[in-house]
Amino acid sequence: MSAPSLAPYIAKRPWLKKWFEPLAKWYCNAAGYRQLGLRADDLIPEENDTVQLALKRLPPKEAYDRVFRLRRAFQCSVSHQLLPKGEWTKPEDDVPYLTVVIKDIEAEMKEREDLEAMIVSKRERNAKEAH
Amino acid sequence: MFPRTSVCRGAQRAIRRQAQQPIQRRGLAAPASGSFQYQSGDAKGVKFASRDFAGPTTTLALVSKAGTRYQLFPGLTEGLEKFAFRNTNRRSTLRIVRESELLGAELNAYHTRENLVLEAKFLRDDLPYYVELLGEVAASTKYIPHVYNEEVLPLIHFAHKQFLARPTDMAINSAHSLAFHKGLGTPTASASTTPYTKYLSTDSIEAFSKFAYAKPNFAIVANGAEHGELSKWVNQFFDEVPAALPADFPPVSEAQSKYYGGEERIAHDGGNAFVIGFAGSSTFTGKFYKPEIAVLASLLGGESSIKWSPGFSLLAKAAASPGTHVKTKSAIYSDAGLLYTTITGSALNVRETATEVVKIIQNVAAGQITKEEIQKAKAAAKFKELEYGQDVKAGLELTGAGLVHNTKAYQIDEVAKAVDGVTEEAVKAAAKLLLESKASVSAVGDLFMLPYAEELGLKV
Repeated sequence: MSAPSLAPYIAKRPWLKKWFEPLAKWYCNAAGYRQLGLRADDLIPEENDTVQLALKRLPPKEAYDRVFRLRRAFQCSVSHQLLPKGEWTKPEDDVPYLTVVIKDIEAEMKEREDLEAMIVSKRERNAKEAH
Repeated sequence: MFPRTSVCRGAQRAIRRQAQQPIQRRGLAAPASGSFQYQSGDAKGVKFASRDFAGPTTTLALVSKAGTRYQLFPGLTEGLEKFAFRNTNRRSTLRIVRESELLGAELNAYHTRENLVLEAKFLRDDLPYYVELLGEVAASTKYIPHVYNEEVLPLIHFAHKQFLARPTDMAINSAHSLAFHKGLGTPTASASTTPYTKYLSTDSIEAFSKFAYAKPNFAIVANGAEHGELSKWVNQFFDEVPAALPADFPPVSEAQSKYYGGEERIAHDGGNAFVIGFAGSSTFTGKFYKPEIAVLASLLGGESSIKWSPGFSLLAKAAASPGTHVKTKSAIYSDAGLLYTTITGSALNVRETATEVVKIIQNVAAGQITKEEIQKAKAAAKFKELEYGQDVKAGLELTGAGLVHNTKAYQIDEVAKAVDGVTEEAVKAAAKLLLESKASVSAVGDLFMLPYAEELGLKV
């Protein structure tokens, strides 16, 4: 689900990160989802098996909150309004709650594929015994 | 009568044969010693036992004193059992399965009333890998909610359905709960969905795992592994398991399980099962071991050891039709036991057979047993015991339990000796005691047909 990103490259270099941070903050704010009370992870396209499974694995409380945020944002969008300023998502609340689960699932799938593609070789001693 | 030459030839051949294989001769029922005996040891607080069977495979088991008897909430043991060999901190479920497949091994987890057993069967060379795996499962399984929801819960639900579909299982479990109420009486599978909808969660299972996999609470038992090797690996791989039982757990009561008795009737349309139970004997490793109960069980018997014949035990003759099955079992636990007879078949036949069975039990209790019958029963009991001992799976659990409960391995030779030493008086005395205590009677099936204990003449 992830598109190629420069973010890890930048995050690894403290000087570069310091440089880019204000820009990133400005961008997140300008994207406008926080004004609708959403979190960045709410915007992940959910029309695929991985994300569907991840959504199933969310704890009940988080799944409920997510649906609440989405419906509230939808209402706002329909009525062409923003939430009152007090209800905007605060930057410290904007944490990845779904990405973590998705990463786990992707790791699982990758492991499965790796194991499928594995080439089995005999143990040295056994191989000798069997010529 | 015989021509002289042929007699001589036979004798010569016999002598020759004896001379060829003098060492392999053995008395008929003398158990092979040596390989039958478990060697036990202690590695940094982890108890282990092994016997070195000659053979290319090893069976390794972790036997934990965490059966349904010891669970704090209903369903915990089952939950923990189904969590065995799932994601650990180091490996995923898939990796564990695939690695075992590649090594050609078999992994298995099951529970009984008293024990939770994690078992691995593999080729001899792979011992270190599997000791490590068991250590890992015990110390670092991850109890994650989604694994519970996606993999564990459906399995528990299947077990529940399976339990409901088997009248015999239901009757036996019901007889146990009549006999012992809580503790030993806790059913091994859930009869309703309440346990796992109400009490079970990953948190409670994780807390229970700290109890089940604490060093004083489990033992490692191996069949077909060298003692020194096993000792070395157990020393190495069990550092991370908790060294003591969790402090916030209520201590397991040491009092002997009390026998109550009573009657329960459950309607069921999938078949008929009738169980008549009496107070029995503990295991050989327990404190209340009575070998005469084993003899009594085989005296009553019911199952045939010969094909196409009803068998010769007392209850074998009681079955009302060939389709009616009667079976007597002495279920042995660490501090108590239940001697029970199960009757299954069509409702009418079960009814007739039950009447007959009670009559025979009353006769036996009144001392109407011939010496010959007791001899037969003793031989059968001894054979069963020794055969059971050769069965790797049974030996593993009993030995593990013995180690955890009383730091004594289950030595089958000694059990056989104990059965040999049973006198006629002891059997008669034990039989008399049966009817003095209350019976545990459980009827599952067509309740219109199945009799009440009172009708049969049993005291409940």
